[in-house]
Amino acid sequence: MGFLCAATLLIAGCSRPAASPDLVTVEHEISPAPARVGITTFTFKLADAVGKAITGARIVVEADMSHAGMGPVFADAKEEQPGRYQARLNFQMAGDWIILLHVTQPGGKKLERQIEVRGVRPN
Amino acid sequence: MNPSSIPALETAESLPFDLLRVPVLGDLFRWRYARPLLQAPLLVVSILMILHGLFGPTLAPKNLATTLSWLNFRGVLVLVLLCAGNFFCLACPFMLVRQWARRLFKPRFNWPRALRNKWISVGLFVLILFTYELFDLWSSPWWTAWLIVAYFASVLVVDGFFKHASFCKFVCPIGQFNFVASTLSPFEVKVREQDVCTRCHTKDCIRGRREPVSDLVTIRGCELALFQPSKVGNMDCTFCLDCVHACPHDNIGILSRLPASELTTDPLRSGIGYFSRRKDLAALAIVFTFGALLNAFGMVSPVYAVESWLGQVLHVNHEAPVLGVIFTFFLILEPVLLLGLAAWFTRTRVSGKRALLPLAVRYTYGLVPLGFGMWLAHYCFHFLTGLYTLIPVTQNAIASLGRPFLGEPRWSLTGLPANVVQVFEIGFLLLGLAGSLVVTYGLAEDDAPDRPLRAFLPWAAVCLVLWCASMWLMFQPMEMRATMMSG
Repeated sequence: MGFLCAATLLIAGCSRPAASPDLVTVEHEISPAPARVGITTFTFKLADAVGKAITGARIVVEADMSHAGMGPVFADAKEEQPGRYQARLNFQMAGDWIILLHVTQPGGKKLERQIEVRGVRPN
Repeated sequence: MNPSSIPALETAESLPFDLLRVPVLGDLFRWRYARPLLQAPLLVVSILMILHGLFGPTLAPKNLATTLSWLNFRGVLVLVLLCAGNFFCLACPFMLVRQWARRLFKPRFNWPRALRNKWISVGLFVLILFTYELFDLWSSPWWTAWLIVAYFASVLVVDGFFKHASFCKFVCPIGQFNFVASTLSPFEVKVREQDVCTRCHTKDCIRGRREPVSDLVTIRGCELALFQPSKVGNMDCTFCLDCVHACPHDNIGILSRLPASELTTDPLRSGIGYFSRRKDLAALAIVFTFGALLNAFGMVSPVYAVESWLGQVLHVNHEAPVLGVIFTFFLILEPVLLLGLAAWFTRTRVSGKRALLPLAVRYTYGLVPLGFGMWLAHYCFHFLTGLYTLIPVTQNAIASLGRPFLGEPRWSLTGLPANVVQVFEIGFLLLGLAGSLVVTYGLAEDDAPDRPLRAFLPWAAVCLVLWCASMWLMFQPMEMRATMMSG
């Protein structure tokens, strides 16, 4: 057991998340601001490393809370303008939410981005 | 006289319901290796939780460590305590590892006499509640995994040096929670016939069964110093069933009883003494009860307003001192004020010459049902509203290994609607209030047989204040943050 603990410590110590290459930048805004419990509009822009808008991507927006037992909320994002996407999320509880963008680029390349939405207010 | 020749009296119809008499279940529990059999799956689950906590998803709702710890384990734990007894301690995986370790390292020391009380475990109980809030343990698979590792390490260190079940009796905060809560459980490990014990000379239930010649212990007796014939209630009993296996007369069962009945009386208890003289146990009951409100308070919206206000008043940005003030209020000032006032009123109205502290200690145990009601309401809210989430979390964990043989995660599986669960919550809180009023009245009858109502009323008022606070908390909007001081 001691060996297991030591090995776990060693391996875990060596494998903390490393920064992934920033291939895509995300600018986002949320309405209403600050966010409140209920339907919220989440708008974001996707751009590649040189700032060119990424168009035609298929994006699933997932919102999670910080506590276990809270089911995630999913929404498909629609492209409102080239590279500018919008999704309507239903925040069911006040608190901190974490938004995950599951992006499938036109070429089929997949990537994920994580955005924190802190302090969603109660109604 | 050969002890094995003492017959157990056959008066089964006069005995309470005995789980050990139930076919299959009773056979399982009477089997000497029942405990390792129950511990082994939990040990495997614990290791999986550690691994997934350290290497799995960083989001708490998607990680087995956080889901199993803060959702399933806590929910199942309180429900089993309510409906049966301290069966988690029976299946405790930490003790299985300890048993293996003790084959290699025999402990040499007895637990220091000065520390044979609950003060360390009370401190650790508070520390866990504090770190839970400070480090937002519910939101961190990483810290949750390390908490489990730390628990295993602590067990090995403490029980590696000290004999018997020192960790369980004097250190383990989860165990203390279970001990206090199990005073309200409907089952108790208890002798069936006192006469049989009276005639028994070997006392194997405490000494252990020994080889006739070598005197080596072959079946362990109670490691928590609970001598069955004079054991009262569930306090300090881990349901390990060592006594059941050691008793040569098959005279120990898991018997039904009236929940909380042990709180209304104050006999001399084996391995414990008198409840009324144990300030450490009363402190544990206080942390159990007021900590239940505090723990729930950390999950509702008003806490952030209070923290923000305190941060401004104290001119601090860090959460620790603000939490320190909140903990001091909930766990020291509030109990001292409420219990002190109630004790003062009781003394004034009933018994003018008694010291306040022993009076407060005596009645403190009456608050335990209220505290348990709050723990039930809180933990069952999370457990029931997220009842099915373990399924997609497990599917996700397996899928991440590249072999999704349970299918893709069905994240739409969540749990019962919050408004349905709220009915259960109200029921638990009402049950807690009713339990506390009944126990407190029982204590008042015992304490002041001539004027029990006078003694009862101040404590009933305390119960009502705490119950109103619990109800208010339950109807506050939930607000789960992992960053308390963010405003």
